[in-house]
Amino acid sequence: MRLVKCYFCSSTIYPGHGIQFVRNDNKVFKFCRAKCHKAFKKHRNPRKVRWTKAFRKSAGKELAIDSTFEFERNRNIPVKYNRELWNKSLEAIKRVQEIKMKRQHQYVKNRLKANTAALKEADYEEVKQNIHILEEPKVKKEAKIKRATQVIQEIDMDTD
Amino acid sequence: MGRVRRKRVHKNIKDIKKKARTRHKTKDIDQIHQDLRNENARKLLQQSPDMDLPGLAQFYCLECARYFIDQKALTDHKKQKVHRNRLKELKLEPYTQHESDAAGGMGSYHGPKEAVTSKEGIYPLLRYNNTTKSLWCA
Repeated sequence: MRLVKCYFCSSTIYPGHGIQFVRNDNKVFKFCRAKCHKAFKKHRNPRKVRWTKAFRKSAGKELAIDSTFEFERNRNIPVKYNRELWNKSLEAIKRVQEIKMKRQHQYVKNRLKANTAALKEADYEEVKQNIHILEEPKVKKEAKIKRATQVIQEIDMDTD
Repeated sequence: MGRVRRKRVHKNIKDIKKKARTRHKTKDIDQIHQDLRNENARKLLQQSPDMDLPGLAQFYCLECARYFIDQKALTDHKKQKVHRNRLKELKLEPYTQHESDAAGGMGSYHGPKEAVTSKEGIYPLLRYNNTTKSLWCA
């Protein structure tokens, strides 16, 4: 079973899925679904379409360069079945996947972390600039109390 | 008059669909990168007159893969935004299946490099001037 990557979005295409386009110069393009095929027909650049893997990686949104990516490969030489090797490979796949996920999460965390100070500063500035919006009810309340006390005083003076 | 339908009408946008049909397929960016190579570019810029093409195939824009009816139309086109955007797009090397594989996790993804099309360096042809067409034919 050969799994290929979608030309547009880089997702894995499993047998029985997707569509293939062969251009008149024999170049083959494989797409995972109609969405990707349509985007290709409209001459969209996958690097600029925000939902593709190519965008995510070229824009630095996701971990792009790492040694864990070196394991997944198209291998053109068939391997003879060997129970021991099979078991070991399965173990290795799990372990590699675990490390990969960990690094990817860490990468995103670090990326977002770099921005937190700036975001906090921006929030602080916003509050500072618009503080009157927050203050107004308080001022109104104080004025109300002031007026009320005045009225009470006037009443008191009248009764006296 | 009854209610005007506002939902589920996108399937009626026919111009986009017709444009995207294989029958109307225009050249892809990677094909244009091939065209910009000197040996191909010369052939495209020095075509023998073809009665079926606009301007007898004498006024061709390499980057946009379009024929124009005369020199004026071509020079006007070169000033336009579509053309300038295309030049910008061509500065990076074309997207390939290999890049897609890398983005999907088969190997590290190093991002696009600047395009190099000939021995002379990056896009010597992009700088050519239409008025001195002979410069490129030399």
